[in-house]
Parts: sequence; C-alpha cells; structure tokens
Amino acid sequence: MRETRVKQSLSDDRIQDRMRPGVITRDGMLGEDRRKLRDILDADDAAVRRLGLTHARIAARMRELRDAGARGLGEPIQVLGHFEVRVDSVRGRLPCPFPHPGLCRKEFVEVRNLRSGEQVMFTELNTHLIEAHGFYEGAGSPFRQDPEALARVLELDPDIPDPGRAIPS
Amino acid sequence: MQQLGFFAILFSAVFTNNILLTNYLGMCSFLGCSREVKTSLGLGTAVFFVTAATSVLNWLVYVYILVPLDLVYLRFIVFIVVIAAFVQLVEMIIERVSETLYLALGIFLPLITVNCAILGASLFMVIRNYTFWQAAGYGLGAGLGWALAILAMAGIRQRLVQRSRVPRGLEGPGIALIIAGTMALAFMGFNGMVSLN
Amino acid sequence: MTELLIAVGVLCAINTGLAVLLMIAEATINRTGTWRITVNGTKELTVTGGRSLLAVLKEQQIFIPSACGGRGSCGLCKVAVLEGAGPLLPTELPWLTPEEQKTQVRLACQIKVRRDLSIRIPEELFSVKQYRTQVAGLSDLTHDIKRVTLTLLDPPAITFKAGQYIQLEVPPYALTDEPVYRAYSVSSDPCETGRIELEIRYVPNGICTTYVHRHLKVGDAVTINGPYGTFGLQPTDREIICIAGGSGMAPIQSILLEMARTGNPRPCRYFFGARARRDLFQTELMRQLEKSLPNFRYIPALSAPDPEDNWEGETGRITEVVDRQVQDASQAEAYLCGSPLMIDACIQVLRAKGMPDGNIFYDKFA
Repeated sequence: MRETRVKQSLSDDRIQDRMRPGVITRDGMLGEDRRKLRDILDADDAAVRRLGLTHARIAARMRELRDAGARGLGEPIQVLGHFEVRVDSVRGRLPCPFPHPGLCRKEFVEVRNLRSGEQVMFTELNTHLIEAHGFYEGAGSPFRQDPEALARVLELDPDIPDPGRAIPS
Repeated sequence: MQQLGFFAILFSAVFTNNILLTNYLGMCSFLGCSREVKTSLGLGTAVFFVTAATSVLNWLVYVYILVPLDLVYLRFIVFIVVIAAFVQLVEMIIERVSETLYLALGIFLPLITVNCAILGASLFMVIRNYTFWQAAGYGLGAGLGWALAILAMAGIRQRLVQRSRVPRGLEGPGIALIIAGTMALAFMGFNGMVSLN
Repeated sequence: MTELLIAVGVLCAINTGLAVLLMIAEATINRTGTWRITVNGTKELTVTGGRSLLAVLKEQQIFIPSACGGRGSCGLCKVAVLEGAGPLLPTELPWLTPEEQKTQVRLACQIKVRRDLSIRIPEELFSVKQYRTQVAGLSDLTHDIKRVTLTLLDPPAITFKAGQYIQLEVPPYALTDEPVYRAYSVSSDPCETGRIELEIRYVPNGICTTYVHRHLKVGDAVTINGPYGTFGLQPTDREIICIAGGSGMAPIQSILLEMARTGNPRPCRYFFGARARRDLFQTELMRQLEKSLPNFRYIPALSAPDPEDNWEGETGRITEVVDRQVQDASQAEAYLCGSPLMIDACIQVLRAKGMPDGNIFYDKFA
C-alpha cells in the first residue's frame, strides 16, 4: 500500500516541485537536501527561535542593508558603519515557488562585514522567502541562507523570545 | 442473513458495521485526505459512488458469469478490474464537472482504485452470500458509511487545528489515529443492534 | 484445458468490455471536440479542445506572452475571456487583481478549452510570430556578455522596431525538464530582416544564460517568438539622451544603427556606465557611429577603473556623469535601459535637469 503522505500536504508537494532545478532557477532551491519541505521549514524555524530572532527581523535587516547599498548602483559602498554592500540586478523577474501573485526582481545583494571579514550574498527572492514563508533554501543550494550565518554577519541581536510560532501560517 | 432487508443492511453498513471504523478498511486515503471538509466531501462522494456502483456490478458479474462458469477463484482479479475501470470513469466525470475538486484531490483520486474498502465491500457481499438487493444495500451503505466517517474525521481535524494545540510529536498521523480510534470506540456503541452475519 | 481457456476467455471479455466502455466515456465526457474561439469580435478560430487556451492559441500562431511556458507561475498570459470561461480556478486567483476579475481577465495557460469562447487580446499580439532559427555566431563581448547571432529559417524574415525584444525558448537540458522562456532585446538593425543579434549576460544560477553561455553551439536550432515591447525612438525632433549599462546596450544599439542608416539628424548623446575597461564592449562600433551620424557622441563612464586601464574618460557613477554633462534637459528626450536601480536613479537626475516625465522612456521587462 502506498505510504501516506500525511506529514506533507498535496500543496506542499507541489511547492517543493517548483523548487527543483530548472523550474525557476537553474540549480533550484533545495540543493542536495532530501528532506520534505515541511521538515526544512521546521528545522530552520527552530534554529531561528534558538537564536532568539524571528523571520521578520532577519528579513527586515536584509532589506535595511539592501536599501542602504542600493545607492551604489551596482558598486560596493560602505553603509551603516562597518558594512560594505553591493546591490546589482539583472533583467527579468522570478516567481515565488509558493502560490501567490507577484514576481521578485532578480536582484543580488553582497554584504561584507568589515569587522569580521565575513560575507553573505542573498537575492530579493531570498528576502521574500524568509519574510513571507520562513524558507532559507535547502542545504547545499547555492543561495542557501544559514540563519546562524545571517545573524552573525548582519549582526542581529537576540530578541525577547517570541512565544508564538515564528512561521506565518 | 437472508432475513435482512435492503434498508436494514443499509443502516447497519453505515452505522453498526461501518466498513472503516469497524472493519478498518480504507484507512490510507482516510488518513491522508481528511484535513479539510471540502476535499473530504469530494472524496467521500467519489468513494460512495464507486462503492455503490461496483458492488452492484460485481454482484452481477459474480452471479451471472463467474459462478455458472465455475470461475469463482477469479473473483479477486475481476473485481479489481471492474473497480479500476469505474474509478477512471469517475475521474473523467470529476475533471469535467469540477476542475477545482479534481486538482484538490490530486493523487488520491486514482488511489481510490486500491482503496481496500471498495474491494472489501464486494468481497464481503460474496462471503455473506447476499441477494441482489442485499448487495445493493450493502454497497450503498458501505460507501455512505465511509464517506460519513471521513467527513466526521475532517470536521474534527479542522476544528482541532483551529481550537487546540496538538503536541508536536502527535501532529499529523499521530492525532489522526487517535481520533480514528476514538470514533471507532463511539461507533462500537451501536454493536449488537443489527447483526450482518 | 477447457477450463483454462474459459477462464482466460472470460477475463479477456470482461477487460475488453470495460475498455470499450471507457473509450465511449472518454469520447463523450471529455469534450475534446472542436470548438470556436472568437478573437476581438472579428477573428474566428476553429480548434480542438481539451488543452489550455495558451497552447491552442499558440497552435493558431497567436502568441500570448509567457515566461514560464504555461505552468501558471509568471502571470504574463492574461487574456480577457468574455464568454465560455468556466469558474475561476485557484491557480489563477493569486495573479488577478479585483478589477481584472471584474473585467473577466483570466490566465490563458490555466483555462482548458471545453466550449466555444470569445476572447479579447491586445492588437499588437497579432504581429507576434514564432520563428525557427539557427545559431550563426557566438562571440564573447566581455567576460560575462555573449553576442548571439541567429539566422531566421522559418519564417525567414522578421519585422520589428528598433528597441523591441524577442522571447527565446530554452529547451530542456542538463537539469531542466521543461522549456523556459526569457526575453532579450534585439541589438541588430531592423533592416536586417533575415538575422537578429542578441547580447546575453551571464546570470549566476540562471536557466537561460547558463544554457546560452555553456551549452549553445554554432549551428544549434533555437526557437524564438516576438517581437514584443513598446520601447523605441519617438518620432520627434528633440535631442536624445541615452543612458544604459551592461546588457542595456542592446536596444540602444539597435536604435543607433537605424538612426545611422536613415541619416537621422537629431543630436544624440549616449552615456554608457560600466565598472572597468573590461566591461566595455562595442566601443569600436560606437566610434564608427560617431563618424557616420551627424551629431552623436558616445560617452562611456567607468565607476571603478583598474589602474592598468589607464582610463582618461569620464569616471564615477553614471548618475554623476550625466549630472555633470547635462545642463538643461527640458527640451530633450531620454531613453534608459538597464537595472531598475540605475533607471530610477537616472530619472531623478533628469527630473532635476528639467526633463518632464512624459519625455523619459525606459525599458523594464515585465
């Protein structure tokens, strides 16, 4: 008898399908991760809560650095003290794998923390996925955003722990 | 058993000998597709239709083809083939009538073919040597009972998600089985009202 | 022995009977008959049903824009279906605004043709065609921009306006399963109807640019459709200011080539922004155009030239250079092509120089 997919609903399967390589981006958003989407979301949600943060705060910080760096028009500029940010974009838009309207610009943000020397790179799609869905991409994906790395490089301080779930339903 | 009329069998198949809660047949899609009342209603109707129709058809095939030609041992294959054909028919009808439902059911629609409850209904009717009307009643009742059970389950699960906090370890199959067990216990209260054997 | 034959015979009979029943059902229930689609009240098409409106129209040589190939993930294939659409599907709802829903706008890729339809589409789409082409040339313009030259096979000629774009179909390759469509501006002169040139910049993790940069070879077949877009030179006498960066060069190049061929006398300045000398390309072509056009100046601006570049031209961000070089823009027109950030920043500068918004034209894909 077929294994019941009780842990992941039909729509989750469809969303995970859209994250496969070649559907929206060349390498997809799952990398080598073999876990179900629900499991990936739960694990990252737990990681974010352990850091004392929320998805909204992380995304807001990403946007803050992006907006400050946008003035560079594709060149690196120093913003907010000790961050070097470069915002660049290419033509075209990408849909989000989750089912809702709107397309994300293909915009890349490189943030280097000049104090620690560490660097992260994220896209507008990344920021949206984190903010609206708590999705940080699968392990091994070229655009995987590790919550701990983001918190460290972007210097996000822990919040007062939020008693509710971090993932918007 | 010969004394039981159409309505008696219908009633008992729905309540006292519910094919899902008493005989534990058809659990797969019951657990997998019972999160929302809307989808469950659709699936329940589909299963009801298939069970009712195939019970009658299978009875006809059994009594008029298999028995006279002494091919009773083929009943498993033949029943499954009839069920499979009917599920294809139902799929076409659903796709034509309501694309929304068709998409919502997804893989569970063709999975009705291997729903044990449907084959079970046909086999029970053979084991218990039902007449035509008894078989019809039983098919209708089993399908109705299954649909009722999945609707009740969906209603409970939907409410549960809104009102209470299920412990993380029990989310999904855990709580679903607990609910199913509790429902089965409740239906046991009907025991003895009507005996199908 | 006879029992075995009877058993097999009965099984076959039952199976065949059911199969016939299903075939009859499929023919009657599935409604894959022929249907009539009325387009814009005038054109009538007879099509076989059962497939999406997008696919059916494509067969009839009407190309509704689509970037996702009909999977419901780009929202570009909007069509007004006045009659015969059926209920709104959950896959369409997210893409349609309330006003669009009121005016019966639907997604062509999600509607299945099951009855007669009456639809309305923009008139420009009638001139969009699909072309079978062949790669005639591939060359590197910079470290990340490739020039792709396509010869048109069928139909053998394309009519387009300078500044328009085409959609390139990327067939399944390596990791992809389904075709994908991406838009690129045409950089060649419209008078060359038998071939077109594209300038394609490599995007990390990009489906199409990876295909073009790593897999495409001279002689390969490529399917394109078009032309699309409303970006192009306005028929006025005003002075022209062009601003572009990176692959924004393509439509401007097409416009300039046409100007040179037609001897357009309008004064024109073209500010091209890049980081260092290695990001500049087509510089020789621009210098030639400076000679062939009566009043054209090409002004490349580097924002971060390497010391080895020995750069003596304009330096700084493109907005700073435009700010320095343009005094009064109230009588000029501007054509911008590049990243949305660059375009927005340049619009601010031009506004400050007195250019009314109605004279600023830019190319932003969907």
